[in-house]
Amino acid sequence: MALEQALTRLQDLPLPTQIRESDWMFPTIETVHVFALVLVVGTIMTVDLRLLGFANKERPFSQVASEMLPWTWAAFAVAALAGMLMFSSKALTYYSNIPFRLKMACLLLAGINMAMFHWLGTRHLEAWDRGRPPRAAKLAGGASLLLWATIVAAGRWIGFTT
Amino acid sequence: MIKEFCDWLSGTNVSVAFQSANWFVPTVQTVHIISIAILLTSVYVVSFRLIGLTRRGQPLATLVAKSTPWVWITLCVLLGTGILLTITEPARELLNWAFRVKMLMVMALAGILLVVQVRLRRSPEYWTESRTRRLAARAIGIAAVIIGAGIVTAGRWIAYV
Repeated sequence: MALEQALTRLQDLPLPTQIRESDWMFPTIETVHVFALVLVVGTIMTVDLRLLGFANKERPFSQVASEMLPWTWAAFAVAALAGMLMFSSKALTYYSNIPFRLKMACLLLAGINMAMFHWLGTRHLEAWDRGRPPRAAKLAGGASLLLWATIVAAGRWIGFTT
Repeated sequence: MIKEFCDWLSGTNVSVAFQSANWFVPTVQTVHIISIAILLTSVYVVSFRLIGLTRRGQPLATLVAKSTPWVWITLCVLLGTGILLTITEPARELLNWAFRVKMLMVMALAGILLVVQVRLRRSPEYWTESRTRRLAARAIGIAAVIIGAGIVTAGRWIAYV
């Protein structure tokens, strides 16, 4: 299959091979991944908890979001880069790993949820920025929390099934 | 002596039960990781302000006051999930130097957080009222950032050493 050939060629490249055969490279990249994802999840949870009205209720949503989200994006970029390096080292193995696929699917859903919220949920932001968010915004916050918890869980399961 | 304790613990009914459920460790670890996310984000928000990397927004005293319940609740959850993981695989933790280093760093971080919180409760301007205090705050903030990263690193390396 063309995809499996491509994945094999990917993991046979010099850097992925080095990562796979080294004692310390994978653990180090993985550590960077965990550190970055911890900040992604923590900052996203802060925004979601504000949407759900569980924290920072007295502050405008837009203020909480503008303080957290730049860090979310920066940490996500680092986590994604580390993740791609880890993936490349055993591309075939991870590609066919069910928890890995679940994690990627949930990441995609989390991204769609975030995009939908950004384009639809913040349309009348001034109306609810200082008060209680509308139901749709709360649903987006709740969905985000659930998806990210699943992403963490699926990520952990990869380590137990490879 | 610790090895005998580990052997005994891993043979207890509760440990055997935890070991035989293959969903148990990944699930408890997931709760552990999410708790670290809440804890470190709270700690870093305060630390960046102590360092002076962020300046606008709520006053330091407010940031610390708001983060205090989250910090101590997540530390309790981390202790609880950590105990569950140690009961399940005693040797993996207790005979591992990365685990011991991690525990020392956790205690150091908790101590730092306590000092920051207690001082602010008595005097909201404590860490900003003089140049010396501001320098001390910066050093404490940098220490907290480094120790936080160290805890995550040591935690992951338990599996590798």
